[in-house]
Formats: sequence, structure tokens, C-alpha cells
Amino acid sequence: MEAIKDALNFSDFSRAERISLIIFSLFLLIFPLLGAGSFTKTVMIQFLLFSLFGMGWNTIGGYGGQVELGKAQYVGIGAYTVALMMVWWKIPFWFSMPVGVLIALGYSFIIGYPLFRLKGHYFAIATICTSLVLKDIFDNWTLVGAAKGIELPIHEHPDFVYMQFKSDTYYYYFIMVLFYIGLFYMNWFRKSKLGYQLRMIKDDEDAAESLGIDIRWCKIKAYSIASAFVAVGGGFMAVYNLYIDPTSVMELSLSIKIALMAMLGGAASLWGPIIGAAFLVPLDRFLGSWLGGYKGLIGVDFMIYAALIMVVSAYQPRGIWGIIEQLRKRGS
Amino acid sequence: MAFLEVDNITKDFGGLVANNHISFSIDEGEIVGLIGPNGAGKTTLFNCIVGYHKPDSGKVIFRGKDITGLKPHDTNRAGIGRTFQVMKVTTGMTVLENVMVGAFCRVDEREQARKKALALLGFMGIEKIKDFHLNELPVAMQRKVGLARALATNPVLLMLDEVASGLNPKEIEEIVEFMRVINSEKKITLFIIEHIMEMVMKVSQRVIVLDYGEKIAEGLPADIVKNENVIKAYLGEKYAQSH
Repeated sequence: MEAIKDALNFSDFSRAERISLIIFSLFLLIFPLLGAGSFTKTVMIQFLLFSLFGMGWNTIGGYGGQVELGKAQYVGIGAYTVALMMVWWKIPFWFSMPVGVLIALGYSFIIGYPLFRLKGHYFAIATICTSLVLKDIFDNWTLVGAAKGIELPIHEHPDFVYMQFKSDTYYYYFIMVLFYIGLFYMNWFRKSKLGYQLRMIKDDEDAAESLGIDIRWCKIKAYSIASAFVAVGGGFMAVYNLYIDPTSVMELSLSIKIALMAMLGGAASLWGPIIGAAFLVPLDRFLGSWLGGYKGLIGVDFMIYAALIMVVSAYQPRGIWGIIEQLRKRGS
Repeated sequence: MAFLEVDNITKDFGGLVANNHISFSIDEGEIVGLIGPNGAGKTTLFNCIVGYHKPDSGKVIFRGKDITGLKPHDTNRAGIGRTFQVMKVTTGMTVLENVMVGAFCRVDEREQARKKALALLGFMGIEKIKDFHLNELPVAMQRKVGLARALATNPVLLMLDEVASGLNPKEIEEIVEFMRVINSEKKITLFIIEHIMEMVMKVSQRVIVLDYGEKIAEGLPADIVKNENVIKAYLGEKYAQSH
């Protein structure tokens, strides 16, 4: 009960923030009625999806301060569970998606336990490696389609059991609901005991330990929550794209994008991942379609991301939201 | 049975013996000072007791339980709180949030933690600074926050690592008074590392002296200042003559 109250309570934010949230929510609600083209709709769906990913990453990466660069493996676990269960046994989305989340949770505990013996850069590298290994396995595992991937059967009519629709509008509202569940969860999380403890760990690990915090266990918990979050998004990707392969759901670039969006927007803030996704998803789409037309320019988008990371971490480590807060402090 | 018993602790950092077969015990309700020159192994000893270092040999017994080699969060849960000589000056959390994290050691509910933290800040007379971040505060205040968040974990033994260094005489006076209050009112046993002799001698009931990793003396403050080994190793002739 108390938890639900906390999740829905935004009263510790400023008036401007609350009003912005309402306007933003109204916009999200009526967006499909504005007659936008399919390209814009796709971008909006991607935006909501990556906001969800970013919010998940924010638990361990933002509040916990651990540079986590392997979230794609959990996107993959979520996506593959949904796709395989549907193709093999015709199991509905509403059953396979939670199963995917549970598998992601279990897997993240197994991976997280040894991983959190490491700190700093070593931890970051290790997260990349575990993700790459899993992608390699899926790339060569013929039972799950190997590098060719899996196609999901296409349903002609809107199907709420398998969550397959012809129109993007359905998908849009579906991911919007997931987005809000994520947002409310994170609003509770940041006020929870674990949220406070993680922030202490980020600030000063030795002090955190002296205050009775089991650092490793806290990090594992946050890591698992983050993994569950992105596995939900992965399940959505499977039914939305109707085709998945290791490259689309487990690539390193996906992990980096997830972390980058949250960091660019502002790690350890509720709005950060949303701002970051609002900024980077359209940029990504734009660069993709623009640079894709020129031969030899593939990869330039990553150079731009790299430059962005450097600028953000040098100028304002707390991202765009940090800049906004700074300006606000100066203004008042 | 002693409250805290340190039995034959040795810590060797690859050739540099920071603690060499140190044994002593502390009774419940005492205030015990730990002094010695820089590099004598005082902080290492603290870290061995609390669990940041694992001693190479020896035992630490706390309230009849062997806590040797336990992690710091476990020794904290067993009832040992500590502060740090150098506090990381962080920007991420406010004073109130810092103390709340300490309170979360014993409670799960945010409101309870908040109430407890506010009560503690009030008890220490620093509720005015609750919304500041550590980097915005003078050293004396930072020290008090460090004390408050350690106290919030409900310790029965509080180990203070140079809480008074860098403070002015008036602030030291306040801290000494505060130590006496928590010792007598909250029944917290204190074990303190301190360099400021006036303070150690005034507040501690017993003093342990380390030099080059070895315990060279232990006793009442009045006896310690007359002890020849201690004068040679640490206090110096001048101090001995003036007292």
C-alpha cells in the first residue's frame, strides 16, 4: 500500500516538473490521434522502449553508479524467450514474457554474483564480455535459429493474446503502458531503502559498508532489477519486430546505447533516461537513414556517440538533467 | 567476559608489519583512547577489528562472539559503528539522507528512518543543516554528520578515527562534551584514535599506545604521560615536563 502511494507520489518534484510531466503525458496519450506518419510513430515507439531500457539501467548504472555495459544480453533473453515459446509451443505473450523476465532474473543472479567481485573499469569490461559471450552462443546455436534468427508467425487480426497487431497504434499504446509502469516503479525505487543504499554505495563504498550495507548484495539486487526491466522491453521487441536475431537484440551497440541514453539524459535522476532517449532516439534514426545512404559512412554515428559521451562526462557528468538543474539553481 | 577482546592480532602488509601481536580488551561503558605516532598502525588496528582488513593471525571477540574476518557490514550489524579519519566529501546526498542511510541499517520503512535521522540530528543540534550536501559544510560539521550517521546504526561500540583533527579548540570542546553524553546517556562504549593529547587525556578512562605496530603501553592517562617508552616514542620530553 505504502509502496503504491510512493510510486504515484511526485510531490517532492518542483511545480514546473510536475506540470511538464502532465503535459508530456497528455501528449503521449493523444499522439496517435495527431495523424503522424508511420516513421514518426516508429520513432515514438523506439523512444518509449529506450526510455524503459534506460530506466532499468538507471537502477544499477545511475543510482548504484556502476558502469554497466551489458544490458543487451537481457534484452536478448527477454526477446528470445517470447519468440521461441511462441514459435515452438504457441505460448501466449502474457505467459512467455513473465517467464523471460524470470529467466533474466535468474541469469542475472548467476552472472551478477561473480561479476560484483569486480569494481570500476574491470566491472565495466566484464559486463561487456558476458554479453558478447551470450551473443556468440546464440549466433552459433542452430536450435534457436543461430545467426539467421527467428521469425514470428504473423497474425492478420489484432491479437491481444499473442500481442500481434498490424497497426503501430496498438504497439504504441502497449509500450506506453509499460513505460508508465516503469516510471512509477522507478519513482518508488528512488525512495526505497535499496535506492538510498545504492546512492550511498555510489558516493562512498567504505562508508556504506560501515553503515551495515552489504554492498555486493545490494549491487546484485539492483543489477537484477535492471535486467528484469530490459527483459520486458526485449519481449516487446520480439512481438513488435516479429523477427529477432542476435544482432538486433544482443549487440554490444545496444548495450552502449542503453547506457548512453541514461547517462546523456542524466544518470540517477527519474527524468534522465527519458530525456536521453528523447534526444538520442531521433538522432539515431536520423543519422541511420542519412548516413546509411552514403557508402563508407557506416559507423560514423558511433563516432558521434563517442564524442557525445566525452562531452557529457567532461562538461556535466550528470547529463542534460544536470545542466538543467544547474541553470535552475543559478536562476533562483 | 570482556566486551571487546582483541587477542594477538597481527597484520602484515607484505613485509611491513602494521600490527604485531596486539592484545587488549575493552569493558562495556568505557572510553578508551588509542594513541601513537603516524604510521604506528592505529587505523590498521581499527580496520582489523571492523573488518576492512582480515588479520593474518589473532582473534577479535565482541560480546562473546568471534567476529574475526567478518565483513564491515556484518560487524556493524553486530553493533560496532565507526567513523573515518578522512571522510569522502560527496555531493550525491544531503545530510539528512546520509543519516537516513545509517538508520536504514535497523529499519526498512522510509518514514521511520526519516524520523530517527531527524531525531538524531536534533539530539546533536545540527538539524539546521539537514538539507545541505557534505561538500557545502565546514569540516567540523562534516565530522558531526559522520558521527550522526554512525550513531544512526545503533552501535553499542563506537570507534572514532580522529574526529577532532582539524577542529578549533571550541569545536574540540563540543566534541568531547558530546562523547561524554553519548557514553553516559546512550551507554555507548567508545574507542577513539586521537592525536590531540589534551583531548585524549581528558576524555579517556584508559589509553593504549602503539608504536611501529606494537603495543608499548596501556593504562590510565595519568600513568601513560609518565611512561618512559611513551615519552620516547610519541609524547616527547617537552610534553612530559609540562605535565
